[in-house]
Amino acid sequence: MTHTLHRKGTVEDLKEDYVMLAMFAAGINDSYDDSHQKMVKIGEIMKKYNPVNIISEIVWVTTSTVTAAFDNLESVKNVIRELKKEDFGISIVVSGLISEIEEALKELELYPHTIHFSLGTFSGPKVQSLPSEKILEITTMCGHHTVSPQSITNYVKLIKQGKITIEKAAEKLTKPCVCGIVNTKRITKVLNSLISEKKN
Amino acid sequence: MEINSDVCNGCGQCILVCPVQAIKMIDNKAYIDEDCCVECAVCIREAKCPVNAIMMKRLQWPRSIRIPFSNVLTTHKLTGIGGRGTEEMKTNDVTNRYNAGEIGIAIELGRPGVGTKLRNIELFTTKLSVIGVIYEEKSPVTTLIIDGEGHINEEIKEERVLSAIIEFKIPSEKLPLILNVIRTVENEIDTVFTVGLVSRMQGINPSEFVYHVTNLGFQVRPNAKINIGLGKP
Repeated sequence: MTHTLHRKGTVEDLKEDYVMLAMFAAGINDSYDDSHQKMVKIGEIMKKYNPVNIISEIVWVTTSTVTAAFDNLESVKNVIRELKKEDFGISIVVSGLISEIEEALKELELYPHTIHFSLGTFSGPKVQSLPSEKILEITTMCGHHTVSPQSITNYVKLIKQGKITIEKAAEKLTKPCVCGIVNTKRITKVLNSLISEKKN
Repeated sequence: MEINSDVCNGCGQCILVCPVQAIKMIDNKAYIDEDCCVECAVCIREAKCPVNAIMMKRLQWPRSIRIPFSNVLTTHKLTGIGGRGTEEMKTNDVTNRYNAGEIGIAIELGRPGVGTKLRNIELFTTKLSVIGVIYEEKSPVTTLIIDGEGHINEEIKEERVLSAIIEFKIPSEKLPLILNVIRTVENEIDTVFTVGLVSRMQGINPSEFVYHVTNLGFQVRPNAKINIGLGKP
């Protein structure tokens, strides 16, 4: 019940981080013959507007969920505009800054149906310290926490040694997330920031 | 998960990818701390072990309960749902799971990245059951609750998982009671947890809801999940 909800970062960071998700209501939307064709079409529309990451196309025909990450609100608006026109009847969830999404929906003559708000992270007294906020910005982008903090630290070291480019490291850190919701472009920015931190 | 120490060449790739730091190097061989390992299988998928030393063991009950709460590629046997979550608000425009005047709540134990023993669920559920919450029947956590007092199955309590989500709903006027429980458990628990509140935007706008929760002493993040209402039954 959380998945894309608890992404860390400031408002400025989050302005470049939106996730779109299409999902069948089990036993309702998936009971029609053309259900999976609709899901494929939704995947194609998301792909058309240049997501920075998207769930593997191989699963579009079998899954109950298609997901993609975008680095700008304009692309998200374009996807919503097309989905509204096509009227597939499948639930669409947009994760990101509430105020920005609300404004975009108003422009498209839509209104939020239901919102899942985040109260953030709580930590018990016996918990050893969590990784730094910058590391958590990357790890919390995967809704199933498959990106390990120590792999990020290792890539920072390798980048500094000139053994891998920032872009290649970002691509590799995206891999464990099978849902395609980790924002590769945002990882690049965070890695850049981590490298500067270490230099100072 | 298991690493065949006869085969392991000590390259350490598996140590780097483990999300819960359950793999250690001892005498140039990688070993899995069985208590710490949550059976997420990220090591076998992502370490690309050059000598194929990582193996997925056939697990016996109760250890096998770790898998659906940790491995994103599995489906929970009891719920038939992939992973540890449910459809929740994602399909609310079709299912009407949460109606006006109700608040959905998701307390995710162990996230981000610390993991949790399943016994921690009871810290919440014994207090929530007194309040009279309605647990989400399709949630894997709900299947672990064995009585009306919120106790969970004794034999699985010491099992460690990547995350476990307690999902339930309440009439909106009970929200202050739930937030009190969160503050109480925060001082008792040995892991991290995240909290999410679901509200249908009928007769209320987002900023009004945020204002209401802020007045109850909690900060609301600027980012959220928004169901935009394109789903149809």
